[in-house]
Amino acid sequence: MRNKLPSLILGFIIGAVIAILFGWLVRPVEYIDTSPDSLRIDFRTDYALMVAESYAEDQDLTLAQVRLAALGPLPVDEYVTQAINYALEQSFGRPDLERLNVLAIALRTLPPPGGIGPP
Amino acid sequence: MSRRLFLILGFGLGVAGGLYYAWLVSPVEYVDTAPESLRADFRADYLALIASAYAGDEDLVRARIRLALFPDLDPTTDLAALAQQRLAAGFADTEASALAQLASALSRGPSRTLVPTPSVSPTPSNTPRPTPTRRPTATPGAAFLLASRQKICDPLLSQPLIQVVVMDAAQEPVPGREISVVWNTGQDHFFTGLKPELGLGYGDFAMTEAVSYTLQLADSQQPVRILPRMNAKQRERTRTWAHGCWSLNSLPSPLS
Repeated sequence: MRNKLPSLILGFIIGAVIAILFGWLVRPVEYIDTSPDSLRIDFRTDYALMVAESYAEDQDLTLAQVRLAALGPLPVDEYVTQAINYALEQSFGRPDLERLNVLAIALRTLPPPGGIGPP
Repeated sequence: MSRRLFLILGFGLGVAGGLYYAWLVSPVEYVDTAPESLRADFRADYLALIASAYAGDEDLVRARIRLALFPDLDPTTDLAALAQQRLAAGFADTEASALAQLASALSRGPSRTLVPTPSVSPTPSNTPRPTPTRRPTATPGAAFLLASRQKICDPLLSQPLIQVVVMDAAQEPVPGREISVVWNTGQDHFFTGLKPELGLGYGDFAMTEAVSYTLQLADSQQPVRILPRMNAKQRERTRTWAHGCWSLNSLPSPLS
């Protein structure tokens, strides 16, 4: 048995390497059917900016909340804050920052989501 | 057992172990994806958001850059189709209007030359943005006058249509205009610009024979009455454009 162990280990390594190469090269992962919460930070920032641009036009805060909620489970103003931080890092133009800021302020004026109250 | 058998056994265990690790221990997490990979419904929401943002800032260059993130998208056709789908699905009218406006703006502008640059933020940074060139539109508060109407017999049509072409004061087609339709048992609305292949200011509504309809552009005060005096396969064409002031008194109504 002991002299067969190297063969077993060698076969295991070869099999694992082939499986990984298959997964990485032959049939690599295709990103399809993803949701906005998986977007890269620059796209998330642009998403929040689009919401802010739209909000500047329609002043529909509920619609803005619904759209931002697609970015994940955090409070929606958190995503705008993240977008502002990224926009500052990347030196976005002042109009963009102002729009994001206006939206962030509007969202912060909303009462926090209520939990289940006492009976 | 022979050494070769152990090699094969080890190989099988290796494949199984590799897949177990890849699928169960450390499965793929979707992070840092691009909009192109979004699920169809999220993709539609994203496109509608691009249109809504365009309605807010009227920055066509930025809208083009954002749309270029979807390489398989035919912006003019797909956005117009999406507007119709979302209108039918009960989404906000403003969204359909924004989509129609963006589709029309794109079809008016130069052909698509932008390509997506995945490694670069789709949002311009501190580069001064070009001032949007506003197309000639009616001045705020101004509305539309009925310019002409005619019946067109088209044997290829399966049912009568009300066709509307909205033009502005510069006689440019106006997309995204909402037109209300009221008849004795119901009401509906449609938008111009949803079929850009027929003209940016074009909109139509399938009518039922022997029913009279009243059309009215949003924010206007002049209703246009379509009487049921046409035969099947005839269609009514109503053409309107802005004249700076909506006044029923200033024009004799050709419909009365």
